[in-house]
Amino acid sequence: MVEKGKIDSTQAILLNITMIFATALLSVPAITATHARQDAWLSSLLATLLALPVAWLTAKLASLFPGKILIEYPEAILGRWAGKILGLLYLLWFIQICSIMVREFGDFMVNAFIPETPIVVVNIIAIAIAAYIITQGLEVMARVNQVFLPLILFSIVLIFVLATPEMDLRRLLPVWESGAMHIFKGALAPLAWYGEISTFAMIVPFLVRPGEARRIALISVVAVGLIFAFLVVGSLAVFGPGIAAMAYPVLNVTRVINIANVIERMDPFIVAVWITGGYIKIAFFYYVIVLGSARWLKLCDFRPLVLPVGVILAALSIMAGDNSLEIFHFIGDVWPFYALFTFEFAIPLGLLVIALFTGRGKDKP
Amino acid sequence: MIKKICSLVLVVLLVLQGGCWGRKELGQLAIVMAAGVDRAPGGDIRLTVQLARPRAFGGGVERPSGAQENNAWVISENGETVLDAQRNLEKRVSRSIYWGHNVILVFGEELAREGIRQAFNFFTRSPTARETLWVMVARGKAEDVLNSHSQLENTSAQSAGSMLRMRVGEPVMLKDLSMMLASKGTNPALPRVELTASGRPQGPGMVENIPQGYKGAQQPPVGTHAEITLTGTGIFKDDKLVGWLNVRETRGLLWLKDEIKRGVVTVPSPVEPGKKISINITRGNTRVEAFFDGESVWFDVWMKMEGTLWEQQSKEKLTNPVIYKAIEKAMSREIENIARGALNKAQLEYGVDIFGFGEAFHRKYKREWASMQNRWNEVFAGAQVNIAVEGRIRRTGLTTNRLSEPQ
Repeated sequence: MVEKGKIDSTQAILLNITMIFATALLSVPAITATHARQDAWLSSLLATLLALPVAWLTAKLASLFPGKILIEYPEAILGRWAGKILGLLYLLWFIQICSIMVREFGDFMVNAFIPETPIVVVNIIAIAIAAYIITQGLEVMARVNQVFLPLILFSIVLIFVLATPEMDLRRLLPVWESGAMHIFKGALAPLAWYGEISTFAMIVPFLVRPGEARRIALISVVAVGLIFAFLVVGSLAVFGPGIAAMAYPVLNVTRVINIANVIERMDPFIVAVWITGGYIKIAFFYYVIVLGSARWLKLCDFRPLVLPVGVILAALSIMAGDNSLEIFHFIGDVWPFYALFTFEFAIPLGLLVIALFTGRGKDKP
Repeated sequence: MIKKICSLVLVVLLVLQGGCWGRKELGQLAIVMAAGVDRAPGGDIRLTVQLARPRAFGGGVERPSGAQENNAWVISENGETVLDAQRNLEKRVSRSIYWGHNVILVFGEELAREGIRQAFNFFTRSPTARETLWVMVARGKAEDVLNSHSQLENTSAQSAGSMLRMRVGEPVMLKDLSMMLASKGTNPALPRVELTASGRPQGPGMVENIPQGYKGAQQPPVGTHAEITLTGTGIFKDDKLVGWLNVRETRGLLWLKDEIKRGVVTVPSPVEPGKKISINITRGNTRVEAFFDGESVWFDVWMKMEGTLWEQQSKEKLTNPVIYKAIEKAMSREIENIARGALNKAQLEYGVDIFGFGEAFHRKYKREWASMQNRWNEVFAGAQVNIAVEGRIRRTGLTTNRLSEPQ
């Protein structure tokens, strides 16, 4: 066994929420509003509904192969060689998205707060902290998250409570102006984010009660969906459909807070809290990569892989794009289709169908 | 052992590292309190900044009375863009220019007539400038307006910001301006500022020269003190300044946009012609609803205003219900007149919707809006507006009837 820690269901839910939410906080409200304008909140609710099948699918696969993690399912279903190759592709995909989220967070910090710092410094610090977290194992990561996620959620609620003087809910009107097609288009980006729930299948065997995987996955998606809808409604009420042009709408909401000229300029304080979420998200995907690689290579410990994978992530995070616009373009226009039609939904669905037809895996869930 | 050495090295590094990469200490910053953007000859941008002089802000040191110091340093520089002009300014400013505490942004009249979109993008893009800074338009040059002091505040920028926070003029923050420009259902209206003679200068450093050209016939004596004054509202069509509202019409604008905070309404006495009664408005709200019957667009506006009667030149007995009802009616009529004044100017003279009525229409008729949004200003100019005002006098201060009258 590569990982000896165990996490309980609550910790798993909280970890899933951070795993999806920490970067959805940055640019996704803007991407959604680009398509759906003031109906962006409808898009985010629609995305939650559409993400439920993804969560169900993930849990279903996990229940068929108890004790195995996501990258081992293909081997059990498709046989040794095809399965190994698909498992490797999954690992490469995790490396790609992890490097992109490192870059996204680095861009956010440099763009908004420390414009003179080279982004590579920010990225390396993020990866170094994440590396430290994962060498402590899954259990420690889950507990760190258990401490910080409530703080993050509290900071979000605090922002929107303090920003209420700037809000006007009439900015959400008229409802359904953009039409079904645009609302659906707007739902794709959050859906791709919620689809990251499929990564949850990498840690299902380490649950105290793996049988609760389905409940955990569904609750996580619904919780993230509600939090995200709350963010979108709040940002829209402050700025209207104009959030489409903003790089980080929730940050802009934080910046306009001004209560009696005393409570203002909250952004550094708030962002300090968000950063912890971003680091945990990065640590989670980083962990999934080293754990998966160790299992793929049949190693008995994943810790020797932490340093090399970290170096690869740091290098890739810089090579991911020439500038932040390229990253925005990728996560806005490419990523939703790319993620959903491959590793998040299409491939697991194919695997499940084959598994059910060939009768591989445990029959009774 | 190795672990111990490593942690020792880390602790030492922690002490040696400064912490932040692009760190700037307070003493290395030139803090901008106000920015002005004008059109320079040749198509350039002329950026004027009011920099705080920290030493003059006091900080415990007693200054000899009468020797008031100028708290701000106002300098201007040309450039192709705002950022370019800022860079050019740094040739003369020994510290790095910091926008984080900028209170106001003033557009010069000439630039505003050409369009303001070219001049404020920097302030929404740069992470140091805040979206919450107050935006205004100068009568004349922004440079002249910023070249001023405040008697009460440290800088004239803070004085102008405080006045807007108290809703004396149309309060517009940078974020509001962006939203107004992005919407087709409304046009921006920015408070107008200019320098007016305001009492005698308190020290040799406090003398202003009011720029020539627009201050009218009453030429103040040389050596006057001038304060930034809110003298109305600039009306924009999209991002181009097209005209002005005076102070009274500005009040109508504020009321129609439901931004009422305070104000005074003066009405003629119902009993004694020529005598006046003043009511201090304490609260109120405005509701606008759009109607469309396939051909014409019209709006119903409901206003509810409450106030306290605080001055009475005449001698009628206010305790008489007939009398105070009549005063309330006169108050409603006056409020409607003020609102109509702003409305007529926007509809008839300039033909631009600055009240956000287009937004109200958009919210209710989203299908019809698609075909109307690009000619909304024309539709608005031809729309009928019905105003219903409910004025209420809630209190009369410390007296009911006049103290000076035999009861």
